[in-house]
Amino acid sequence: MRQDDERYFARIEDRLDEAWDVAEAAKRQGHDPKPEIEIPIARDMADRVENILGIDGVAERVRELEGEMSREEAALELVTDFVEGTVGDYDSRAGKVEGAVRTAVALLTEGVVAAPIEGIDRVELLENDDGSEFVNVYYAGPIRSAGGTAQALSVLVADYARSLLDIDEYKPRDVEVERYAEEIALYDKETGLQYTPKDKESKFIAQHMPVMLDGEATGDEEVSGFRDLERVDTNSARGGMCLVAAEGIALKAPKIQRYTRDLDEVDWPWLQDLIDGTIGKDGAGASDEAAADADGEADAESAESDDTGDDADDATDGGAADSEAAEPDGPLRPKPSQKFLRDLIAGRPVFTHPSESGGFRLRYGRARNHGFATGGVHPATMHLVDDFLAAGTQIKTERPGKAHGVVPVDSIEGPTVRLANGEVRRIDDPEEAKEIRNGVEKVLDLGEYLVNYGEFVENNHPLAPASYVYEWWVQEFEAAGADVQAMRDDPHIDLEHPDVDEALAWAREYDCPLHPTYTYLWHDVSVDAFEALADAVAAGDVVEGVLALERTETTQHALESLLIEHVATPDALRVPVWRPLARSLGVDDGLRKTWEAGDISAAAREWDDGENAVKAVNEVAPFEVRERAPTRIGNRMGRPEKSESRDLSPAVHTLFPINEAGGPQRDVAEAASVMDDTGHRGRLDLEVSDRVCPECGEHTYRAQCPDCEIHTDLHYECGDCGTVCEPDEAGRVECPRCEWEVTAATRQEVDLNDAYRSALGNVGERESAFEILKGVQGLTSRNKTPEPIEKGVLRAKNGVTSFKDGTVRYDMTDLPVTSVRPEELDVTADHLREIGYETDIDGEPLRHDDQLVELRVQDIVLSDGAAEHMLKTADFVDDLLEQFYDIPRFYEVNERDDLVGELVFGMAPHTSAATVGRVVGFTSAAVGYAHPYFHAAKRRNCDGDEDCVMLLMDGLLNFSKSFLPDQRGGRMDAPLVMSSRIDPSEIDDEAHNVDIAREYPREFYDATLEMPDPESVEDLIQIGEDTLGTDEEYHGFGHTHDTTDIAMGPDLSAYKTLGDMMEKMDAQLELARKLRAVDETDVAERVIEYHFLPDIIGNLRAFSRQETRCLDCGEKYRRMPLSGDCRECGGRVNLTVHQGSVNKYVDTAIEVADRFGCRPYTKQRLKVLDQSLESIFEDDTNKQSGIADFM
Amino acid sequence: MPLESNARIAKELARHGYNAEREAITLLASAPDSAAAVESVVDHAPDDALRITADHVRTVTTDRPVSDTDPAPTGSNPSPSGAESPDSGSRSTHESSPTRNTDKSAPESPKGQSPVEIGGSSSNRGSDSASNRGSGSGHHADATAEGSDTAGTAEGSNTADTADAPHHGPDLRELEVGNDMTGRSTGTGEYADFVRTFRDRYERLSKVLRGRVNHRPAEAIAEMPGGSDAAMIGLVNDVRSTKSGHWLVELEDTTGTFPALIMKDKGLADLVDEIMMDECLAVEGTLADDSGILFADSLHFPDVPRTHRTGAADRHVQAALISDVHVGSDEFMADAWSRFTDWLHTPEAEPVEYLLLAGDMVEGVGVYPDQDEELEIVDIYDQYEAFAEHLKEVPADTEIVMIPGNHDAVRLAEPQPGFNDEIRSIMDVHDAQIVSNPATVTVEGVDVLMYHGVSLDEVIAELPEEKASYDEPHKAMYQLLKKRHVAPQFGGHTRVAPEERDYLVIEDVPDVFHTGHVHKLGWGKYHNVLAVNSGCWQAQTDFQKSVNIDPDAGYAPILDLDTLEMTVRKFA
Repeated sequence: MRQDDERYFARIEDRLDEAWDVAEAAKRQGHDPKPEIEIPIARDMADRVENILGIDGVAERVRELEGEMSREEAALELVTDFVEGTVGDYDSRAGKVEGAVRTAVALLTEGVVAAPIEGIDRVELLENDDGSEFVNVYYAGPIRSAGGTAQALSVLVADYARSLLDIDEYKPRDVEVERYAEEIALYDKETGLQYTPKDKESKFIAQHMPVMLDGEATGDEEVSGFRDLERVDTNSARGGMCLVAAEGIALKAPKIQRYTRDLDEVDWPWLQDLIDGTIGKDGAGASDEAAADADGEADAESAESDDTGDDADDATDGGAADSEAAEPDGPLRPKPSQKFLRDLIAGRPVFTHPSESGGFRLRYGRARNHGFATGGVHPATMHLVDDFLAAGTQIKTERPGKAHGVVPVDSIEGPTVRLANGEVRRIDDPEEAKEIRNGVEKVLDLGEYLVNYGEFVENNHPLAPASYVYEWWVQEFEAAGADVQAMRDDPHIDLEHPDVDEALAWAREYDCPLHPTYTYLWHDVSVDAFEALADAVAAGDVVEGVLALERTETTQHALESLLIEHVATPDALRVPVWRPLARSLGVDDGLRKTWEAGDISAAAREWDDGENAVKAVNEVAPFEVRERAPTRIGNRMGRPEKSESRDLSPAVHTLFPINEAGGPQRDVAEAASVMDDTGHRGRLDLEVSDRVCPECGEHTYRAQCPDCEIHTDLHYECGDCGTVCEPDEAGRVECPRCEWEVTAATRQEVDLNDAYRSALGNVGERESAFEILKGVQGLTSRNKTPEPIEKGVLRAKNGVTSFKDGTVRYDMTDLPVTSVRPEELDVTADHLREIGYETDIDGEPLRHDDQLVELRVQDIVLSDGAAEHMLKTADFVDDLLEQFYDIPRFYEVNERDDLVGELVFGMAPHTSAATVGRVVGFTSAAVGYAHPYFHAAKRRNCDGDEDCVMLLMDGLLNFSKSFLPDQRGGRMDAPLVMSSRIDPSEIDDEAHNVDIAREYPREFYDATLEMPDPESVEDLIQIGEDTLGTDEEYHGFGHTHDTTDIAMGPDLSAYKTLGDMMEKMDAQLELARKLRAVDETDVAERVIEYHFLPDIIGNLRAFSRQETRCLDCGEKYRRMPLSGDCRECGGRVNLTVHQGSVNKYVDTAIEVADRFGCRPYTKQRLKVLDQSLESIFEDDTNKQSGIADFM
Repeated sequence: MPLESNARIAKELARHGYNAEREAITLLASAPDSAAAVESVVDHAPDDALRITADHVRTVTTDRPVSDTDPAPTGSNPSPSGAESPDSGSRSTHESSPTRNTDKSAPESPKGQSPVEIGGSSSNRGSDSASNRGSGSGHHADATAEGSDTAGTAEGSNTADTADAPHHGPDLRELEVGNDMTGRSTGTGEYADFVRTFRDRYERLSKVLRGRVNHRPAEAIAEMPGGSDAAMIGLVNDVRSTKSGHWLVELEDTTGTFPALIMKDKGLADLVDEIMMDECLAVEGTLADDSGILFADSLHFPDVPRTHRTGAADRHVQAALISDVHVGSDEFMADAWSRFTDWLHTPEAEPVEYLLLAGDMVEGVGVYPDQDEELEIVDIYDQYEAFAEHLKEVPADTEIVMIPGNHDAVRLAEPQPGFNDEIRSIMDVHDAQIVSNPATVTVEGVDVLMYHGVSLDEVIAELPEEKASYDEPHKAMYQLLKKRHVAPQFGGHTRVAPEERDYLVIEDVPDVFHTGHVHKLGWGKYHNVLAVNSGCWQAQTDFQKSVNIDPDAGYAPILDLDTLEMTVRKFA
């Protein structure tokens, strides 16, 4: 590690230690459930694994093994340790297997995700029909977050442990085998699988699996056959099991096989059949499959497998094109894919139909705020798609991956539009875009779409042909013999934007392809159109340097498709820059056509069935003309970006229970003043923990004894026999007599009024300090430990709310950034120097606010909203320290600049480990920008994922495991451990595919035309993986494209600023009309098909089998009570699904279907539904009479 | 072979806008040159005629040299029917059928092949259906075999019938429809409508049970002293098992709910398997000491009395009970359908004067995702047009009654009203009666409860396999009869549209219960009520293949209305 990096981490850890000491002192006072900080620091992955699992000795052993072998091998090696008892303290054989399996999953997920603790419920030993024992692994839903490889390996580990412990294999009964197949299919139907094994495969796996895969029910739908099996205790699908069998074993068979080969004890020869794909494909199976394929792609087939399927298709497609070379040929292109359009919903527009001309043009490169599942879009485009795109908005893409987060990049080409006044103009300036957008009649082209090479590597997608762009051309120019360096230095020459004469001269003198600025999209016009245009140009006039052509539909259409700037007047088309066009058309400066129709070869004429004129151009033009934008990338909007505080619903200030007494608002003050039968105020019968003071023996629910002021202990008393129990080492409490689990929760009468008033007194606040203090109805934690109300008072005062674990959180969409300018972060160069930044990316001393500096791996940029929220949190924490713990304030922030250099926790959903980050600046984009490695450490990428930040001190002080819900998944999303520094080798390896080169070589661009696999050019472009484990691993993240400001474009997507769904949908359809690359009828059709129809049908179904609810007491009834009134309180009962929610979209859907000319099939479905609604909601005998009745 | 073209002749006439009497068609078919005969009938038909009668045909054919028809109207018939009758006669004796079937069908040209009578799915299982089938074939032998086997002697009863009742005088027919709610859907989807529906269910079904137990309202039972005997009638509100393996059944009446405990060793526990939510039950037993729970001694379903006496037609007349035609689907079996309608034109089928269709005339639109990819006819109106065309092949004087199913273009929530005017006008050819699902059709004294059968899925899913399965759909129907409700469970698969009364209650015990929907053939008798689930006319779909359902396609159960015996004919 470089000194510089050492200093950086030391700086972070110093600040962390500082905070730690303060928090520790506060905690020691005993006001909190535990008298110590509950988020242990993990120095590395081994620490995290041990902390998450809570098994001592794992970390040490992992570190030992890490140097010697891969993580997977280490997981298998640890099995021996568990079996021999050298690691973990398990007596039973089942326990040993369980420990080994959990550890394996934790290791493979780097100790970050919750899968090892939440995804594996237990391991047990059961009996085969022949009396021998077998191992049953009981999975739960959260195993999903482990990913296929870890899931599959968990089974292998269980089997290995089984064989070492000399337990027999699982011998499935026939019905159980059948059940697996039915259940996996059911789960796929209900929830969806990435990979759906054929029934035969499922059965094959079930028959050969040496341990039993089991799990808890995750869905409501039940299997129809093979029910009530003795060894399967549910009739619903067991989600965890299905995931492990399908996405684990079936999908990752080749990976597992690698490890089984190395183990003598474990032999899974049957994997080979899975890998070969011979299961389910022989005999009848084959024809089935063929039939399914012929049906036009098995829909149910999933994302991942689909992608690989597509890749294969693409590849064969390319091959096919080659082999057909004898026939009239066409250019090599990726195959258009419709998949991203699936499930299109109302209000989220389509920007480009699959590979459609006029849509986004693929440009290769990585901008500094780019990579890691993002796509660069010109900010002018963002404005011209009616602001639907903003930084962080997710878009579903046709390729290379499934989704991207959008980032603004203004160093690529902007959109081309036709204005109402007839002008066709390219817009490269976001301000200009805003000015002219009301006058836009048609968006002819959306501009370029920047995708980095690493994205293709990550998705294993064949490279698509590159656009002809400056960075490619200049390398060709240099290779052709031009002294590029000299020209760069010449102030009179603008290499990137040369004037016409220069560009034409260069092409001629150096025999180099025409400069991209003057290369038009010839591949988008037909040979016929090309000839017609040549004739039109030859017949045109040059007036004052402007070429005037006769305005005909073909000519105009051709100019628009070529993206040639011009002005259309009623009778003429005026082209100001016309010479490159004329030359490309084989027309000289005197407007003489230099060729005859016969001069174009048959091959050029028939190239791509005559739809692509690029060959023809090259035959008549005096220079080489490359394909300008051969690859278009279809996409549509996914989720909008996010930047908002995470509140429970309803919001909560304090985790203190008040039953129903607080009303729907859960108002603590209201609950404290409710009078009971005896005339006492605020006496509530609450379910809270029973604690006892070690000093005076007094019972209380408080964590600190009100009299002795010392920390109290939980008191476990068996509810049945009254035995007072003690927790065992694992923290479980079991009554030795009744043999069941005992908790410390009891019902007790609590004087809330007193608790509330004294809390106010303790922190010296009055009720007027806040508007409302909200509590919770009841606690969901095992021991029902309440939080001191004082914390809630101060939260309410500072306007923040608590998450279920006691922390204050703010959610933001993740975006990557590797280099920043102080000024765009609303900080100064001084600020950055203060926190250790010394030089800019070129090694120059950092002096100016506009210098570009490389971002440190754990530094993050807060959105404006997050900064404001963190300020409030800092005030809350300071108040808490000062007024509650009586310790000096820690943050002392006045303005947001004060937050620069402060530490936060970053944490993603479904994980259990927080990563420490440092605030470096602020952005007006509604996203959280940070280094890709920081996001990857949290196990996120940037394709629209979002996660949260917490202020460090808030987490240290207020988080407690005692608050976490006692249910499946309760420990997800809670910071059970923190990583203080990022080790690039221990993050999600997806981030290693981010490319870090400063330019892509010419060979790369040339290679893309052949659509090779990305690996074949891996030597040409450096990616993060290449520096891993070296001193360079923390820096040197170069980019190929700059952007003026990482917050360009709209601050918020229109999706979030528009009103209701109808308004959004109108805007979506309006945009569809405006974009050349979008077929508005298809959009309307899909919105109806995927959004309106399912909504109407679903609500109609819900209506006719709905529950009812009492309006007064909230009691729910499966069916309407015969008495009509509530059986509990006599109150009014009403429906939960009303007519209004059933038919809210019907009229709109019918109108849209009509306006956009949808298929009769769609219209008829709507009509049938409309009549059904009428039949249900209208009285036949009392129909509204029409006006005709009165005539 | 003139016979095969009967349906075609009917169709041809229909193309010219004419409906035709069965006899007229028979006459035309037997004409030496049918096509020419049809043409000339059309040419000579009076301008105002809508229906071609036998007289019309005779007028035309007597102009020709062929001198046959006049003295005995059956004169032209004997030859074709005579040729056929040995086959049909022998086939009607079931026991020999398997071998004969193969014998016959193979050598004969596919066109001339007459339908094969089969034992149906239920014939091998269950004693009740076996006996039913036995007597069924016995009956059939009475009707036809006697004559045809003795060859020349007067062609037996078959021809005699024809002679006696020259093509069914419509005046002998009686057809009434009860419980039809078409045009009477008064619900507006309010909470009160739902309450009204369930109250009506409770009131009408509790009436059935009231005579059997000395029931008290829930409210009153709660006030009774512990240990006393009590009985309650209510809708099932909840069924759950207790920790110790007993069952807790909560009943609800208009005054409240009361729990009944069914001990696992009481012998009643078996019945618990049959209980579905929201059906009406009576429980008798003893109150616990604290009067908090009723220990059940006996459990009563409304049920069909064993003494149920069925009605019967007073002449030999038959009804074909079919369902699930699914016109418009890629898998609609047009050929089987034509064989069926051809057969309806044969003398053998002459007693078949009624055709009862239990829903799913067409495949519909939007019934499941991406359905358009599996539709032969994508337009819903074209589907009904096509269905109407296929219906034209049915002899014009057949009385047709149909109810909608879940694929039809009406609301899915039950009860489903009959089609709207737009669709009715497409299918006006036969003047068919289109009524609601469910509805009771009384045909010459025989009450046929027609219900499409969506709830069968639920009954089969909820009940143990031996009590209800797809292979024996009639057993699931027994359960509905027992519960006296066609779709008791609320909140599950079945969708309910609230109306002023619960049209789904089986208030009057029918003589025949006819359903479809599950595409499986099965029939049997339950307490004297004949339950028939009538298969379909749609071959196995991809979906069915994927879930391994093998539909019984191309069968037509034929019911004797005078004896309530049934035979099933196969046309696929």
